Formats: sequence, structure tokens, C-alpha cells
Amino acid sequence: MLELDVKSRVPIYEQLVEKIKELIIMEVLKEHEQLPSVRSLASELTINPNTIQKAYRELENQGYIYSIPGKGNFVAPINKNKKLEKVNKLKEELKRLILEAIYLGITKEELMELYDSVNKEIKEGRR
Amino acid sequence: MISIEGLYKRFEELEALKNINLTIKKGSIFGLIGSNGAGKTTLLKIISGIYKQDKGVLKINNNEVFENVDLKSNIFFVLDNPYFYYNFSLKDMARFYKGIYPNWDDKKFKNLSLVFNLDLNKKLNKLSKGMQKQAALHLALSTNPEVLILDEPLDGLDAVMRQKVKNIIIQEVAEREMTVIISSHNLRELEDFCDHVAILHNGEVILQRDIDELKADIHKVQVVFKKDVNIDYIEGLNILHFEERGSIKSYIIKGKKEDIENKLLWYEPLVLDLLPLTLEEIFIYEMGVVGYEVKNIVV
Repeated sequence: MLELDVKSRVPIYEQLVEKIKELIIMEVLKEHEQLPSVRSLASELTINPNTIQKAYRELENQGYIYSIPGKGNFVAPINKNKKLEKVNKLKEELKRLILEAIYLGITKEELMELYDSVNKEIKEGRR
Repeated sequence: MISIEGLYKRFEELEALKNINLTIKKGSIFGLIGSNGAGKTTLLKIISGIYKQDKGVLKINNNEVFENVDLKSNIFFVLDNPYFYYNFSLKDMARFYKGIYPNWDDKKFKNLSLVFNLDLNKKLNKLSKGMQKQAALHLALSTNPEVLILDEPLDGLDAVMRQKVKNIIIQEVAEREMTVIISSHNLRELEDFCDHVAILHNGEVILQRDIDELKADIHKVQVVFKKDVNIDYIEGLNILHFEERGSIKSYIIKGKKEDIENKLLWYEPLVLDLLPLTLEEIFIYEMGVVGYEVKNIVV
């Protein structure tokens, strides 16, 4: 379920937080679903349990999961705001990329073409 | 918990440890890194009660370690080159440790033999270096230590075995909060394995931190500016290192990601890339600060 990139410079802890967030936003992990225990995830991924504990605590702080003492960690009900937050973040990122694209001389038509081709790929199930 | 205050140790003229202060939490995997001759092994030998410090206090769970048999039966130190009695097989060593370590676990020893797959009756001194290391780890884990001290533990093990050993150690940490202290020069490996690191140099600790905090606090930044910006000074940024290749300027900057980004975006850069540093890079820059640098040497 969780694939981590050990070659990446991004710390494992950050990768974990981002991956789990993604799974929650995409609703692969459903509301009130239990997350794997720190122990099982640690031995499954060969990752320091303290790192996983810390990632879970961060997700809890950000409101993505909640914990019940003695029982474990569960997916918090998704708030529409969370999705909006992600959309806004993505827009900011796109703005930056578009700025770069404009400086490199990529035209609006070329950008639209890109959008259409990705969209087509999704519809044909290739993405 | 292991607490170390003002630890000092000398061997005749050599001051091996000058003033070591460290705190290691229970259940932590603590990485000890440092230059050659920095004092790592001396420190590990004091923690495990082999040497006695000249000054300072070392306590594990609030008790002094030196000549404390009860405490030491919960500590296992795997040396860089493990020692076995002459003509002893793994079975003989197991019997020996069983008599010394009260928490010795026969079942665990048996289960671990499926992982390590060593011949129980072969003379250990006839085995290869890597297999001796495996034997030492096999014995160490079978004693169910509360504190496991590892000096260059994965050296000489093949890639599959390294992964297996890491996995077993992680299970022990997750299940019974074993504390692990591990010294290594393989920083790439420590980076994913430890939660805390300390850097030792010349008998002193020059840095001790949670590894993720450490990495969140220093960045490699690559920028292409639209117009000329005063490149080696930017208001409010702590620039440790600067390099220029063509129009690409690359910095090592201390600070939080968002702060750095915000300050640099103000200059409307064409390209702005922030990368976390690897532990190896952090080590090299921190060592540079104390005058232990990588220089271009022509031999």
C-alpha cells in the first residue's frame, strides 16, 4: 500500500506523511478505517518505529487521522476544506510552473494540448 | 534512558573524550557518527562498561554502569571485529552466553538461526568476517538486551543480510522498546535507520539532534535569477556555502523550507529548487565548520 522511495532526498518521515495524506484525500483509505499499527508497518517497511510514530502524530495534528488510546489510529472524516487546501496548494505550484513555462517560451496552446492529452489518457484508463 | 554528562577519558597523552554530553531515550535508534579517531569506540566502550571514565557521569536508567552486573546483563556490545573463544562453535558460544545473560532466550536463538542460517557446530574462527559478524548479531539478539550497542554492525554483510538484520532490530525496537546505539561511517544507511544522531569530532560532540529536525533545518538551493542579485548575501538568510555554475547558483542555506522559499521568491527567480541535504552532506558541512574539510588535494 505504501511505497517509499529510499533513494529520494526527502526524509522518510515526510514521505510517509505525504503518502498517507494522499491515500486519505483520494479516499483509498476510507473514513474511520484503521491504519496499520506502528509495529506492523515498521517491520513491513523496515522503518524505524519512532519515525512512523512521529508521522502518525503529525497527521493527527493536521487533522487527517485520530487516535484511540489502546486501539490505534483511524482516518478522520474528510473535511471538504482539506481537499480545498490541496487544490490551492496545487494551484500555487502550477502558477510557478506556468511562470517558468512562459519564460521558456511555451505557448498557451501548447499548455492546453498537454492538458488535453493527459485528460485523454485518464479517460482511456492509461493513467 | 541513557544520560551522559561531562564524560572525560584519557589514555596517557591522548585525550580520547573531552566533554561528552548526550541523552539517549529508551526505544530510540541512535546513530553515532564522526571522523576517524573521534572517540566513537571509546565512548561505546564506556557505555557498555568496558572502560571506566576519568571524569563525568554515565547513567543507564539512573544507575552507573561500571561493574554493575545487573545492568550489564541487559547490555550487549557487538564489536567491529567480534571475539570468540578459540575452537568455539556457535553452539558453544550460545551455551557460554546463556550462563552469563539471564534473559537469554533459547526460542529466539532457534528462530534466528532460520534467518542467519549458520552451521551451529562449525568453529567460529574458521568462518569469514561477514559470517562472524552474523554470528555475533545472532548471539547478541538472543540475549534480549535492553540496550544493544553496535560498532560498524553492517560492515561486511551482504545486501540481503543487511536488510534482514535491520528488519529484526526494528522489530525488537517496536515490540519491546530496545534501545540501539549504532556507530557507522555508512551515513546513507544510518539516515533511514536512526531517529537521532550525534556527530563526534576530536573527543567532543559537535551536534546532537533528531534526524528529521536536522534535515528540515538545512537546504540545498538551486536558483536562476532573472536579473543580477547580490548573490552571496541575501537579507535574513544564513548562507553556509555558495557555488556558481553558469547562471545556476547553488547555495547551502540554514533555515526552514518555507522561510527560504518566501525570501527567494521575492526576487522572482526563474528557477528555484529546494532540496533537503543528505546526512552525508550535512556531515561534510558540519565538519567543515570545525576545520575538518574536504580539500582538493593533488598527490
